[in-house]
Amino acid sequence: METFVQSLVNGVLTGSLYAMIGVGLTIIFGVMRIINMAHGDMVMLGMYGAFWAFTLWRIDPFLSIVVWVPAAFLGGMIVFRFLLKKIVPAGELNTLLYTAGLSLFLANLALLTWSGDYRTIKLPYALMPLRPMGIAVPIPLAVAFGMAILITALLYWFLSRTPTGRALRATAQEPEAAALMGINVGYMNVLTFGLGTALACGAGVLLAPSLYLYPTVGQILVAKCFVIVVLGGLGSVPGAIAGGILLGVVESFGAVYVSVPYKDAIGFIIFLLVLLFKPSGLFGVGKS
Amino acid sequence: MRSRFWLTMAVACLLALAIPAAAQDTWKIGAPQPMTGPDAPFGDKFKKAYALAVEEINAAGGIHGKMIEVVIEDHQAKNHLAATVTEKLINQYKVLILTGGRASGQAVEIASVAQRLKCPYLVDHPSADIITAKGFEWIFRNNPTGTIYPQAFNRFITEIPGAMPKSAAVVYDNTVFGKSIANSAMSFLKSKNVPIVNDEAYSVNTLDFKPIMTKVKANKPDFLLMVAVSTTDAILMTRHAKEIGITPRAFVGFGGGFGVADFTTELGPLSQHVFSSAAWSGNPNDPDTRAFYDKFYKTYGFYPKEHEVEGYAAIYIIADALKRANLTGNLEEDRNAVREALLGTDMVTVFGKVKFGNWEGPLGDKYTNQNIYSPEHSVLAQWLGGKLLNVWPKDNAEVDYVFPDPGMTR
Repeated sequence: METFVQSLVNGVLTGSLYAMIGVGLTIIFGVMRIINMAHGDMVMLGMYGAFWAFTLWRIDPFLSIVVWVPAAFLGGMIVFRFLLKKIVPAGELNTLLYTAGLSLFLANLALLTWSGDYRTIKLPYALMPLRPMGIAVPIPLAVAFGMAILITALLYWFLSRTPTGRALRATAQEPEAAALMGINVGYMNVLTFGLGTALACGAGVLLAPSLYLYPTVGQILVAKCFVIVVLGGLGSVPGAIAGGILLGVVESFGAVYVSVPYKDAIGFIIFLLVLLFKPSGLFGVGKS
Repeated sequence: MRSRFWLTMAVACLLALAIPAAAQDTWKIGAPQPMTGPDAPFGDKFKKAYALAVEEINAAGGIHGKMIEVVIEDHQAKNHLAATVTEKLINQYKVLILTGGRASGQAVEIASVAQRLKCPYLVDHPSADIITAKGFEWIFRNNPTGTIYPQAFNRFITEIPGAMPKSAAVVYDNTVFGKSIANSAMSFLKSKNVPIVNDEAYSVNTLDFKPIMTKVKANKPDFLLMVAVSTTDAILMTRHAKEIGITPRAFVGFGGGFGVADFTTELGPLSQHVFSSAAWSGNPNDPDTRAFYDKFYKTYGFYPKEHEVEGYAAIYIIADALKRANLTGNLEEDRNAVREALLGTDMVTVFGKVKFGNWEGPLGDKYTNQNIYSPEHSVLAQWLGGKLLNVWPKDNAEVDYVFPDPGMTR
């Protein structure tokens, strides 16, 4: 029983961070039909941001996130406005290739600037985990989980309660109709990309104390996130959240109860099964 | 006007190519190492060790009047790249002999290429038995093999009363190294009727050991044996094992990662009492070895451990062979001459005694050109107070062991 609960806890904690990255990816796709291959590298930049803030100025990652998220938001908007905007009309495949190139560029720039050495953030209060009822809960992961929930809740509120949020969802549903309703679609695109990047970067900052940092970590994460967003339904925020947590839990149980080396395969098998029976994803609506 | 520009460029290019060729009249030793990527810290250790040895040998006049030079090529810890850079070193740089490799996976590739292209390869660190168990006459190894490494640990649990594990969990990486070490350890334990309650292989550079450790905790093992070819795996495994709350009588690490300074700087108090097998770095009670440690510390600011000692010793073994070889300038003949000189090696290095021979290992592997003194080069060390100290056998011990593990005191 303890093993079951421990695995569940591990899965949910890790899954929540996957979910946060996935939500960023899904809104970018939902609104602009951009498959952002560079998304994982945004996470990597967030991780390095947290690392340098901690190493150079001793600022705790859970505090520096307050700086990094708005910075990533602005950065994302700038990247879109100056790098991506012209490519989007050329079609999804071209955008995919372009963002793949951007991903390679960012990963290698990081490799050049910061070297390939693995880095960690050693938080002084994070040495031993909390043990509620005998279940080990690592402190940084627990805090990250809490903040991820908070940020995702904020995003949800933004999307459903504010006029801008509603405009964003309208653009995702049908850009031409949204334009006809008087929504500035161009501005929505810029905003969405900024938001997606901010979420990715924020997830990176939250993940940094729990994971090893190296320039190509983005590539492994983005692969998992594509599984999540397609599993949950492209463009669906609740889908990405559910997909993220589901993948985290499936991987955790798969590793403990089936076989560790095959845990990634198990995640992909579940993914294939869901797609087989519900091609638009768990929460997907119609076309994809 | 235009054609003059291109002519100048062409001449400049030719000159640029010619200059390196002219300036390099040295005895070249090739060393594929991971200089970037997850294993980069190891590559750096070997680079420093080689540099110190090369500097000393050249300062003493070089060999036959020429200086020696180590050419390091980066294989990024990727097996296929190891093969590529080895071919480059042999064909393009025309090295006389190879050393290095770092991880067994890469060393297996390097050995294949070296054997095929008839270039001697002195293995300084990679430990998988198979590297010197294929009958390759061009491959030599100074350091112990994977099946020999655990000998000191095996002696520890046999000789200390009550130390034989009542059960053991073995967690290892799925590379050549991990599997051979785990196999050796489990064979010995099975021969002593110790039940293996967990036999878990993980993908190297996994980053999340919580699922494995959750599985292991359920079986409450008496001993936890952890094998990791990569330092990050070694560190994370230990951290997650202790976080999940596994409390064996001993944590025993096998692999380079358990013996490097990063282990204790990253884990802090979590590194306390962890045993490290395969941390042979010369006999610390030998005065010449001690002198080398101090000189290394003065030069680089940290004490050498197994990698640095192995790298340094390898260059000296190669230099000794070059001295005795009859080198004529014909590359193929010279490589063969170096090979024959190595066969006649009989010397002492800071790592220990060296003589290459053909003999049978503890699990029956038939070795070719394996250091016959390897069985002496096995020690069990323990992390105590942030320092890695030899604890068994007594002759090589620097301090008394702490067993059983008292656990984390909050």
